[in-house]
Amino acid sequence: MVNLTIDDKQVTAPKNATIYDAAKLNGIKIPILCHDSKLKPFGACRMCLVEVEQMKGRQIPACTTPITEGMIIRTATPDIIKARKMVLELLLLNHPIDCPVCDKAGDCDLQNLTYEYEVNANRFADAKFNHVIDYNNPLIERDMNRCVLCGKCARICDEIVSFGALTFMDRGIETKIACEFEAPLNCEFCGSCVSVCPVGSLLARPFKFKARFWALTNQKTVCSYCGTGCNLTLGVKDNKVLTTVYDENQGFHKGQLCCRGRFGYQFINSERRLTTPLVRKNGTLVETTWDEAIEVIAAKMKTAGASTAALATPRITNEELILFKELMETVGSNNYDHSAGYAHAALTKGFVQSLGVAASPASILDVQKTDLLLVIKTDTYETHPVVGFEINMAVKNKEVKLNILSDKRGKLSKLPNAKTLIHVPGTEIAVINALAKVIVDEKLADGTAASVPGFAELEKALAAFTPDAVAAQCGLTAADIKQLATDYAKAEKALILFPVGLPYPGHNEDLASALANLAILTGKLGKEGCGVLCMAEKNNSQGAVDMGFYSTAGMDAGKIIDGCASGSVKTLFIAGENPVVSYPDHTKIAAALDKVDFLVVADLFMTETAAMADVVLPACSFAEKEGTFTSVDRRVQHIKPAIRKIGQCRSDFEIFGALITKLGGKPSATPAKTFEAISSSVAGYAGMSYASLGETGAYAAVSVKPSFVVPKTMSLASESGKLALVTGSALYHSGTMSQYGEGPMYVCPEGYVELSRNDASKMKIAENDLVIVTSSKGSIKLKAKISMRMPQGVLFAPYHFSETSINRICSGAPVTWVSLSK
Amino acid sequence: MTQILLRQDHTGQCLSFGQYCDAGGFEALRTALGGMSPNDVQQAVIDSGLRGRGGAGFPTGKKWSFVPRNLPGPRYLICNCDEMEPGTYKDRVLLEQNPHILIEGMALTCYALGVEHAFIFVRRGYEQAAANLRTAIGAAKQAGFLGSDILGSGFSLQLDIHQSAGRYICGEETALINALEGIRANPRVKPPFPAVKGLWGQPTVVNNVETLANIPAIIAHGPTWWKGLAATPEAAGTKLFCISGHVRNTECFELPLGTPLGKIIDGPCGGMRPGSTFKACIPGGASTPYFTREHWGVAMDFDPVAKAGSRLGTGGIIVFDQNTCMVAATLNLTRFYARESCGWCTPCREGLPFLVHTLEKIEQGLGTESDPDILREHVHALNYAFCALAPGAMGPVEGLLRLFEDELREHITKGRCPFGD
Repeated sequence: MVNLTIDDKQVTAPKNATIYDAAKLNGIKIPILCHDSKLKPFGACRMCLVEVEQMKGRQIPACTTPITEGMIIRTATPDIIKARKMVLELLLLNHPIDCPVCDKAGDCDLQNLTYEYEVNANRFADAKFNHVIDYNNPLIERDMNRCVLCGKCARICDEIVSFGALTFMDRGIETKIACEFEAPLNCEFCGSCVSVCPVGSLLARPFKFKARFWALTNQKTVCSYCGTGCNLTLGVKDNKVLTTVYDENQGFHKGQLCCRGRFGYQFINSERRLTTPLVRKNGTLVETTWDEAIEVIAAKMKTAGASTAALATPRITNEELILFKELMETVGSNNYDHSAGYAHAALTKGFVQSLGVAASPASILDVQKTDLLLVIKTDTYETHPVVGFEINMAVKNKEVKLNILSDKRGKLSKLPNAKTLIHVPGTEIAVINALAKVIVDEKLADGTAASVPGFAELEKALAAFTPDAVAAQCGLTAADIKQLATDYAKAEKALILFPVGLPYPGHNEDLASALANLAILTGKLGKEGCGVLCMAEKNNSQGAVDMGFYSTAGMDAGKIIDGCASGSVKTLFIAGENPVVSYPDHTKIAAALDKVDFLVVADLFMTETAAMADVVLPACSFAEKEGTFTSVDRRVQHIKPAIRKIGQCRSDFEIFGALITKLGGKPSATPAKTFEAISSSVAGYAGMSYASLGETGAYAAVSVKPSFVVPKTMSLASESGKLALVTGSALYHSGTMSQYGEGPMYVCPEGYVELSRNDASKMKIAENDLVIVTSSKGSIKLKAKISMRMPQGVLFAPYHFSETSINRICSGAPVTWVSLSK
Repeated sequence: MTQILLRQDHTGQCLSFGQYCDAGGFEALRTALGGMSPNDVQQAVIDSGLRGRGGAGFPTGKKWSFVPRNLPGPRYLICNCDEMEPGTYKDRVLLEQNPHILIEGMALTCYALGVEHAFIFVRRGYEQAAANLRTAIGAAKQAGFLGSDILGSGFSLQLDIHQSAGRYICGEETALINALEGIRANPRVKPPFPAVKGLWGQPTVVNNVETLANIPAIIAHGPTWWKGLAATPEAAGTKLFCISGHVRNTECFELPLGTPLGKIIDGPCGGMRPGSTFKACIPGGASTPYFTREHWGVAMDFDPVAKAGSRLGTGGIIVFDQNTCMVAATLNLTRFYARESCGWCTPCREGLPFLVHTLEKIEQGLGTESDPDILREHVHALNYAFCALAPGAMGPVEGLLRLFEDELREHITKGRCPFGD
């Protein structure tokens, strides 16, 4: 600690603090415009000038100057006040001062400082700027006339998002923020730039003229898209969520959000929301009352009894999942599952066998604390963009080494010194086994590894996975494999990340076990910055696993679908899932759901699945209910209602409760009560309560019992002359729900197929050409997107879209062999 | 009068490599590599009292001593040849005549600092200088003065020329480093200083062309001899003065550091042009406050000039005669700085155009009584801008307010420029 004097107050601050940090720490406010604690010091605006006695009273910027022992600082001398006033006068000189029509009014740093420093009149006068305002972008409006050139937008886009969409352009008074060569904005649309803009230069266009800042009620909650578990503040007026509000102190991610988190909230108050229960009469769905709907469903479930089945989306709360299970138990069925059954297998089978627990022995916070990241599939960035930001910062600021094993290149491949090894699609488990083989053979394994159960079997099984043998089939060189293994084993701390979810059928229990083997072999478990992080797709995927909402004794999702088709499932209750679009093999799913006697769907929207139902129940969004979500790293967080329920919507908790009551059971009265039960029954959740979760949540402990498991590799039946289609998540989407968010749909409105430049030129395909993709299951028409990241012979398609559902041609194999035609 | 940089017999022509060697060129490098340790070289430079010739006048040896020797990775030397200050053209004259001396100077400096890769950052417009340097580097490489294992000493040096896209701000050493890295030429936050974290995050020294060109003489003849070349005991070495304005000879002269201003103008400059009498001058490039007749006797050395209220800067002297309107002259210079502001920090980006606007108003006879005070306030504010180039931009305005306030006020009270027709 360093001792110093600020405004005649004796204070202490940590050694590497700046004057600004030290003052803030001790409750002394120094005004800032260009400084942001998340970004590197900049020192441009000159608002934070202070006087330092040791520097002969020179005015120096507090935000860039490190403190030294015995420093005597004055932050508000008459000279300083005068200097700050002058800075404001200068900034206001060309600023349009159009506060009455500026959406930033009330939340504008320039406005607030002008008020605070009583800049009543400007002694200077000059022409105003006349920059063209960019109204063209649907998400981000850019008005450079209001800009104070703090550079925060350009810096956050570079330092954290690592995209670099915005930059300074021109010089002197003509300096402005623009895209390179003044091109239109075409970026990740995470809105980080909007969030840090201190003035009204960058605005969220969907929120334009919706409400004055001070008229909003802010509700802190948790994002309902991916499993990162970002904290979110919703801005509400008149029972409508009008925007997301940036709060730099919120969450481990400090208020950073991705495109869907920041701009994808419109589904909450969407006009398309279901508002009344519907029942099928004479072949059409007509409005009904809740009483009638509950009555009909209860009767059907009772009749079906053990042949009732349930599929839930891992987007609903832990409490709802528990209650759903109870409902199923009430009718005597244990046929329930989520995420098509395979998307949670990495946790529920892989990690259970390898680590003895269905959870990841690592946290997102480890990303910045490790020495080396081994990322499986570049899609890690697309599925969990805010974890992607953590990777960006780890690599760029902490010099963490980044090794990527992927079937294509991606955003992460562009990070400094990132090493991307491109393997033939579907061979990742073989490669990982080869890594384990190298670690064992080269004596890179931890001393304790040999005593872990299953070592001998693993060692024997690995014999087939020599780097040379694997290299031949996976498209890497043996040297690559050896280097990757050595890098991982020799790093003091190393963390493995891999995404799982509906579009990654290959990321199954075997991949999870193969990766766990590496961590166990090298002793990289249970230490800070080490472990394996299984990044489940949805906001409560880990919660659904923790709550045990998957088949253990009964039918799993695949069997449930088969049961619908064969008649062994009589009544199917689907809460929030949209299998018709999101599960592989569309034809099979649609036929099965058509066949089942009685189908109930509770959802926010009339999804393709809901449209087939006999009863449709209008469910609440996350913004209308209370409960908990569990993130991929088992952070349990409390969500609270931001608005009153829309129309006649009921939360799934209420729906399941009403059905249990109807069936003669006694459901828990409130989510809080259910959570009490969870905390006493679910491993790791002990001692938690809504009160103890607070704003940032609490981690459920993960204790590991490692053993080696021999992972099965996929059989690679490549078909000559065909292309390998791999599916995944688009950066702007999550599941099928983001289709109801305006932001994601503005940026990425439809499905596409990405192909390499070589393949495109060979087949004479141009960007945006409609191409027909044909597999053994059928064919669909998609727009072609030509990119540098795809290896020759490999295609990529996102799976989110109803109209162009890739699941019409995919059947759940890790790789689908297809042909392309125009 | 000894000259070590310029050769009177070679005005306007480039010395060939052979001619340079015949005149004792690269002997200093031989001496250093033959028996001096890197520390000896650095010590000689410290002892010589050499101060940076790029404008700031920081002691060169001291700057070198800030480079940590224990950090892993390479260190870099960058020669700053982004000469863009109005009135300054000494580096161009020197390089068009003798590029070899810079190469030898850089080789010696790199040896002293343990640098194996150095860059010459050449201003866009200096095509001839860059061409000369390219030829000279080729010749030096062939003769074994550059490349690997120079003269069998085990010391290797790669020397590269970077012709910049060019901007005045590139003269600021951290902005220059940014430009060399290929990113926007904005100054960097200090600390960390370039000596610790410069080019590509590695320890880096940035020195001016003239500074580096003095090193061979210091090593060849010893620091005491070199120091003695100056006109006063306090000064050290010679200095290139580049003259422009209303004098007879507008050339670049190498003169003993500390030569009085009057002696320069009356001597090598040949006095004022016929019909002209001396009114004022800029003593050290466009960013330095004016000198008037009262400064005639000031020794042109860093400290005496600073004591007299200006800066020696680059040694670019611009002489004005009695018909020069100082408001117009200041406006001209301020326009340059407003245009060249990098746009980073508020006082410089917003303040300079406003000053231009105000000075224009005054020059047009539309000034108001409060204008001088507003100018004064900006001069004060720009002292606390992000980089040193902003206070520099205020040099002329500061000089105008201090020395020519009457003339300024005359514009305002008369409602017109007193020099106009």
